[in-house]
Amino acid sequence: MGLVVGVDIGNSTTEACAADVAADGTVIYLAAALGRTTGVKGTTENVAGVADVVRRALAAAGPVAGRDPAGLHAVLVNEATPVISGLAMETISETIITESTMIGHNPDTPGGVGLGVGTTVAFSDLPACAPGGEVVCVVGAGVDFEDAAAGINAATARGVHVTGVIVRADDANLIANRLDRPAPVVDEVTLVDRVPLGMRAAVEVAEAGRTIKTLSDCYGIATVFRLDPEQTRMIAPVARALVGNRSAVVVRTPAGDVTGRRIPAGTLSLIGETVKRTVEVDAGADEIMAALRRVRPLADAVGEPGTHVGGMLARVRDTMARLTATPADAVRIQDVLAADTFVPQRVTGGLAGEFALENAVALAAMVRTTRGPMELLAARLRAELGADVLIGGVEADMALLGALTTPGAGLPLAILDLGGGSTDAALATGDGLVRSVHLAGAGDLVTSLIDSELGLDDLALAEDIKRSPLAKAESFFHLRMEDGTVRFFREPLPADAFARVVVLGDTGLRPIPTRHTVEKIRQVRRSAKRRVFVVNALRALEQVAPGGAVRNIGFVVVLGGSALDFEIPDMIAEALAEFGIVSGTGNVRGAQGPRNAVATGLVASHAATRARGD
Amino acid sequence: MTIQSAPGHQTPAARPRSRRTELLEQRPVNLDGFVEEWPEVGMVAMDSPYDPKGGIRLENGTVVEMDGKAREDFDFLDRFIADHAIDAAAAVRAMALSPTEIAHLLVDPKVSRQEVLSVSCGLTPARLLEVVRTMNVVEMMMALQKMRARRTPANQAHSTSARDNPVQVAADAAEAGLRGFRELETTLGVVRYAPLVAIALQVGAQSGRPGVLTQCALEEATELELGMRGITGYAETISVYGTEQVFCDGDDTPWSKAFLASAYASRGIKMRFTSGTGSEVQMGNAEGKSMLYLEIRCILVAKGAGVQGLQNGSISCIGVPGAVPAGIRAVLAENLIASTVDLECASGNDQSFSHSDMRRTARLMPQLLPGTDFICSGFSAVPNYDNMFAGSNLDPEDFDDWNVIQRDLQVDGALRHVPEAEILAARDRAARALQGVFAYLGLAPISDKEIEAVTYAHGSKELPPRDVLEDLKSAQSVMDRGITGLDIVKGLDASGFPDVAEALLGVLRQRVSGDLLHTSAILTPELTTLSAVNDANDYAGPGTGYRPSGARWEEMKRLRHVVSARNPEQEVDR
Amino acid sequence: MTDTVAGARTLELREKGPAMPGRRSDEVVVGLSPAFGDFFSKTIVGVPHADVLRELLAGVEEQGMHARVVRFRASADLAAIAHAAARLSGSGIGVGILSRGTTMIHQKDLLRLSNLELFPQAPLLDLETFRLIGRNAARYAKGESPEPVPSRNDHMARPRWQAKAALLHIKETEFVRPGAEPVELDVLIRTAG
Repeated sequence: MGLVVGVDIGNSTTEACAADVAADGTVIYLAAALGRTTGVKGTTENVAGVADVVRRALAAAGPVAGRDPAGLHAVLVNEATPVISGLAMETISETIITESTMIGHNPDTPGGVGLGVGTTVAFSDLPACAPGGEVVCVVGAGVDFEDAAAGINAATARGVHVTGVIVRADDANLIANRLDRPAPVVDEVTLVDRVPLGMRAAVEVAEAGRTIKTLSDCYGIATVFRLDPEQTRMIAPVARALVGNRSAVVVRTPAGDVTGRRIPAGTLSLIGETVKRTVEVDAGADEIMAALRRVRPLADAVGEPGTHVGGMLARVRDTMARLTATPADAVRIQDVLAADTFVPQRVTGGLAGEFALENAVALAAMVRTTRGPMELLAARLRAELGADVLIGGVEADMALLGALTTPGAGLPLAILDLGGGSTDAALATGDGLVRSVHLAGAGDLVTSLIDSELGLDDLALAEDIKRSPLAKAESFFHLRMEDGTVRFFREPLPADAFARVVVLGDTGLRPIPTRHTVEKIRQVRRSAKRRVFVVNALRALEQVAPGGAVRNIGFVVVLGGSALDFEIPDMIAEALAEFGIVSGTGNVRGAQGPRNAVATGLVASHAATRARGD
Repeated sequence: MTIQSAPGHQTPAARPRSRRTELLEQRPVNLDGFVEEWPEVGMVAMDSPYDPKGGIRLENGTVVEMDGKAREDFDFLDRFIADHAIDAAAAVRAMALSPTEIAHLLVDPKVSRQEVLSVSCGLTPARLLEVVRTMNVVEMMMALQKMRARRTPANQAHSTSARDNPVQVAADAAEAGLRGFRELETTLGVVRYAPLVAIALQVGAQSGRPGVLTQCALEEATELELGMRGITGYAETISVYGTEQVFCDGDDTPWSKAFLASAYASRGIKMRFTSGTGSEVQMGNAEGKSMLYLEIRCILVAKGAGVQGLQNGSISCIGVPGAVPAGIRAVLAENLIASTVDLECASGNDQSFSHSDMRRTARLMPQLLPGTDFICSGFSAVPNYDNMFAGSNLDPEDFDDWNVIQRDLQVDGALRHVPEAEILAARDRAARALQGVFAYLGLAPISDKEIEAVTYAHGSKELPPRDVLEDLKSAQSVMDRGITGLDIVKGLDASGFPDVAEALLGVLRQRVSGDLLHTSAILTPELTTLSAVNDANDYAGPGTGYRPSGARWEEMKRLRHVVSARNPEQEVDR
Repeated sequence: MTDTVAGARTLELREKGPAMPGRRSDEVVVGLSPAFGDFFSKTIVGVPHADVLRELLAGVEEQGMHARVVRFRASADLAAIAHAAARLSGSGIGVGILSRGTTMIHQKDLLRLSNLELFPQAPLLDLETFRLIGRNAARYAKGESPEPVPSRNDHMARPRWQAKAALLHIKETEFVRPGAEPVELDVLIRTAG
């Protein structure tokens, strides 16, 4: 009998599998262990992490004589190669309001209800207004709500029709509640001084729970301002921008407009083995991915200097160059993944800090090398553990061997390894040939999309949202889960969770300090996972499938950290169902779940070699 | 229109005003708060008609009456003090002396420290108060000069970061070590960062100068765990209070604190308690006693719990004694009493105290001139905006002033001027050592760009932001993987810093020998213990005791700018 | 001394009788400490209680909610006042305020020593902050998830205000009448001519 430990050094975790291998190749699996990879995969920095998991696997294997590092026959390590990935995001659209033609920031508490049309007048000029006129009163900073209401009531008493009010402070209800004659009030207009005065304007507020009807409709605006067809065509973007709001102001000015603009975000050059294509980043993810398909296999990619994408690609290249002591220009970007996303951005020219969801493109890139200092790593490990260290087998081959121990899996078998920085796939057809591919874009990109789309600016929180389901703390004693079910608690929930949307992480509840609803956060989370994992799963399988046809794959086993996610495997299974593929989460050795495949494969391969006697 | 009265000191309108008064109104000292005394509720520093009279009655070696209160009326502090802090055998003789006689023993250089201790160990809280009430600040300073436990004075610094940036903490720790601080303390904005910042403090401290002791102020259980793992070197923020109510509000008793103290002692870890005047009245529970009387009870609880030392000098409540008459005299008195009952005293000067530079300095003199075990129990080694203990009485902008004052008065404040090149080298090296340790342990990486930035930076505002997500994951993994001080030693050694590894191993070794449990123990850069045992204060009047001389005095003479005597056209090379 | 400046607001608090638990789910109860608007007329930094209360109430009203003001004489402990206010509130949300300005938002099911939001640094609380506190209390009552009111910090507040804060606290404690029942108040805020 020989005690061996198979070790898989992954990008973020290092896994070990301890086993007894008999001379005839019979294997008794003893224990598994899991730890964090120390340093970049495939470098000597890994020694500490490997030594740690090996010792823990041996300890877990139990106190049988000889099962200490001294009695260890061999440590089997995969051919781990450094992988570096990077992320960047470019915002590619911008909304501009000219001549302060509209206010559409949707304050939480507008006052009054209805539509008011009149000429804009500053609050201080109200006493000078002639009776009979219809005015929209603009209340600037520093005016107290009682004084504002009193001033408007005085004007009303003189016969001035104050049909609507625009306010700087969060005072709409306070003013509306004190008006003798009701009028719609829109508040929290931060740049109220820039509202054009002496212009015809319309103020509309809908009841709570409803949205405006007139100002979000071109013909509604046309009716209010008596516009001709050409003018109506001009105003259409304004109406569109106001759809879904509970309140709005539209001011008619000579050249008022709302426009959308593309922001040039530079170019991305994709260099294939035979062709080279240059694509504008602001063309969007579909265009970039289409260009990528046309140049495949990708030999390298370069971004325009001075752009985020250019900087990111250069950074990835430099890091790998440093790690492997290769000149930077010899390092090649092997894959990129583009995903369309949106980023909340302040509208240019907005008077009330309006935000628009602007389009953006997120890009992930990866490079891997075959030049890892494996021999040096093995030597250091030998010194540290005092046992023989064998570098055995290509990672993909080993993972396939391990995945095959999943009950019910058979050939032709493809594995999908969903990691943090890259998505890997490999296919075994049973004829001894293995095809494998490594793609950019995985868990880290999902985190980044969630972070930017929800405007969190907190990657730790985005990571939690990615990993765990949501709920809303409706009281201190119950949570409404995202699927609508309710969970009750005997002990009160933490104070900071009250009334908030929370993530149900491993370490308990974590409140999300935004005003997004459960539905909105869930939708962003699921869509981010689809755009990265489902897209990459199909892309990867397409590249390893016999003849490029995904249909020809029989079984797909999902492995890696992201396979433990509560919804990604289902999403992938759903996407693959239409190809008639059996897809599910790996269950290595019928016990380890999606973990430990490579470590198990190393042991199995070693045993087979022993049995063959070579 | 809204009329809002201007905060603070108002000026009635329209009355003509003296130009001088206007100038005085603008002086920073007038931004400080001052209040009238109110002894009935305890808003009085040390001279209250409501404090008890000192007295003691013993039966069969047990205290049955103390300071006018019968044993059956004792609260738990009285009982703890009577049973554990007062040496019944010495009490009768000691309490027979009048307060003035005892004060004379304290001030008279011919009376040895040991003789005073043989009396002070038998004194009750009220009697100790009566003793210091007979003394003015100069007499107290004379007494403190003799009663300080360790012969050589030392100093402690805060090294924190507003962004909990471990690279900054390491670099500032190294610089602080180099400048002479022998203890360094950190704490966090985001508590989850603690393991990383504690490692950074330890690595930075040992890179700066070997043997600097470090601690991380946290909730008690985590603080203890970091200590037991050897990630930190000592503990200090174990608070005690002078009334039962305030103790109970913190869910504690003197016994629970004593238990915690024994947990540290069981691992050979240095530890001291923390207390200070003003905390009880601040919480509205002073029971009508003066601030100093209640603080003396805290000091005796520390003594009774068997800990080697105490951090006091009002600490975070300094605004309260600072606002009443003779408050700073009371703060000196509490430091003196801690020393007088043979405790190590880390003597405050560690919290933002005044808007006035003159007043900040005056508040510091009573500890700086006689010398204490740690003159500041937190000189901010980072700009006050980065100080997560809410700001200190001194920060890095005061380094040069401090060095000049030491030189002017030939008084050892335990710091020194260090040429910029040496500081830059130490900051760079500390950051690199931390980079190596983090890489070895697989923690969030530190980039060369960060090291470059931190080497030259003053505070966190000048540093590139860290990847907080990765940092927090790393911090969690330090706890999950059971990383200990020895792992840091291995990491330092593996990444090419064998000397720093050696220093840290030397610090860790101390917990086996237990030498740091001695009163006032610090480590020298040569890693030998200096404490009240082998460096006992031997002050006995002029010409005796600790006086800066020899190499240390030469070191103190150096400043940033000193004109050369040989060639007055040049400055002495710095 | 109380200077009455032209244009300044005066606060009159009329006792209506014992405060009862509310039934309206759209109410927020504002709990006042024993000497608020009584012995004391302004916060530690001189912000008049009339304006403080006006802004708290305006913050609630702007959210379309209703505020009820109750005096608590039994304690000068902020958590006790805020929690008692929350327990009287039909929505379960209460705001407690001490004379010196320290304020807390509480919820009836929480432990007394816990809270939803605490504003401990009274010297830094201005009228704008009091408006936001009223607003957030109302939003909690509506079941919304308000972002906590940003907290500020100033390390030089200690030398300036620490002792005065202690004095104000002790003074307020003198007005405590143990066991006194909470009293509902009519609030009249007028502008002096």
